[in-house]
Amino acid sequence: MASFTLTPVDKGILRCRHTGPFTPEDVQSLAGFMRDYSGKLLIDLTGADAEECSRHIRQFRPMMPVAAIFGALLDPAILIIDKSYYANEVRLFPTEEEALAWLRNQ
Amino acid sequence: MKTQSAINTYVKEIGGWAASQLEACTRCGLCADACHFYQATGNPEYTPVWKTEPLRRAYEQRFTIAGRLKLAVGLDKPVTDEDLKHWSTIVYEACTLCNKCAMVCPMGIQLGPLIHDVRSGMAAAGVVPGDLVAATMKQKDVGSPLGVTDKTWAERMEWIGDEWEVKIPMDVQSADTLVVFTSIELMKFPDNIAAIAKIMDKAGEKWTTSSKGREVVNFGYFEADEELTKLFLSRVFDAAKELGVKRIMISECGHAYDAFRWTAANIMDMPKNVAITHIAQVMHDFWKAGRIRLKKGAYDDGTVTFHDSCKIQRRGGIIKEPREILKWLAPSSFKEMTPNKEQALCCGGGGGVISIQEADPLRFAVFGMKVDQMKEIGAKSVCMVCSNCRLQFTEGVAHFGSDVKVRGLSEMVSQALE
Repeated sequence: MASFTLTPVDKGILRCRHTGPFTPEDVQSLAGFMRDYSGKLLIDLTGADAEECSRHIRQFRPMMPVAAIFGALLDPAILIIDKSYYANEVRLFPTEEEALAWLRNQ
Repeated sequence: MKTQSAINTYVKEIGGWAASQLEACTRCGLCADACHFYQATGNPEYTPVWKTEPLRRAYEQRFTIAGRLKLAVGLDKPVTDEDLKHWSTIVYEACTLCNKCAMVCPMGIQLGPLIHDVRSGMAAAGVVPGDLVAATMKQKDVGSPLGVTDKTWAERMEWIGDEWEVKIPMDVQSADTLVVFTSIELMKFPDNIAAIAKIMDKAGEKWTTSSKGREVVNFGYFEADEELTKLFLSRVFDAAKELGVKRIMISECGHAYDAFRWTAANIMDMPKNVAITHIAQVMHDFWKAGRIRLKKGAYDDGTVTFHDSCKIQRRGGIIKEPREILKWLAPSSFKEMTPNKEQALCCGGGGGVISIQEADPLRFAVFGMKVDQMKEIGAKSVCMVCSNCRLQFTEGVAHFGSDVKVRGLSEMVSQALE
């Protein structure tokens, strides 16, 4: 089973739900998805191991489309990257409602 | 004051070569129709010949009797600070230095290099767009225009090695090939780095990366600041000398290939006996020499096309190599866009344009023509050998709601390895 699932939420918004530890194959296919996907992403980390997520989210951060993350207590510092022309806005929210509301306005 | 700095630079730049180019222009206007910014907008200020106007005025008013007379009697205007600011937006935001204009000029004038000279005056005068300056300063201060620090570079390389299960050698003394990547690949397209590592490994190449010469992009070159251009080139050349490599291989980057392959030799001492090559050439050489084998027809499942990058294909002449590979990978699905090869249309993101936010509407207007080209042949995917083009294509297809897949050739080759 893949460590993430992708399901539609709204027009132009997909939910990326983290469901278990990442294997290298999962990392590669998620990178491939982020490379090709041009919509917005609602990243659902409910029930995920925050420590395990942190390393990968930090590395995925530069590749992410516009995204709102919720569901795990992450250190916001892992989302900080140098402001640059290639990078999209990614924010952390305490709840799904807040995350989705922000995402819909982007 | 700004004007004087620019004029001084122009006067310095105007040697016999530039003078002959400026004198040769007959104002026929053919270059206009070759310029993708002019084609997309119809704005006459975007014609290549108009982009060289500050240089022409500086030359004529300083070095020709007619120019001095015209200035004296008010038939020509001197360049002012306001003019510089205005032309700054034209030459940095509406020109990718793609040099297609030179291909159509009946007098053979190299308009791209002349516009680069105009940019150098802007750089001396300090009228470069803020976003471009910010990226250049990051490259000067931390080693990458995207702000990638030494620590981030090392961590990310380690992550790519772990997760893509490839070996990425670092600082290997006496390796044959020093591979230098772009920050865009590192941050946005890590699979490209993994792909190149896999290809090098499969070919049995003795290669390395360098923690000191780790950035191949050159924002000094985009700005046209010669000292910064040299500084950024020297970081890689010094690393090559220190490691004792035989060649430097530029990864998927067009302007970097131009800067290392041609510009460097004209402005600085280069390390002796170190060749400069590009991944597109190297992959082809490996394949032809039997060092890698590729699965025939691996991508024969939907029309695949190739985007020619200005500096690699039009300037560099690496035209047949990627095509031979693609015709092997997609023998019945490979189709050319029109125009193509030397006459191909630039993507609109090169020359630093992609880094300037104010230029976004323009670069997307230009990209609309690429979308039309891809639609005409029913392309399902497009591949290229420049990560800057790839970023422009990725953002462009999203902007236009196109579902064409954007690929790097290295990625395709690595996935077709037998």
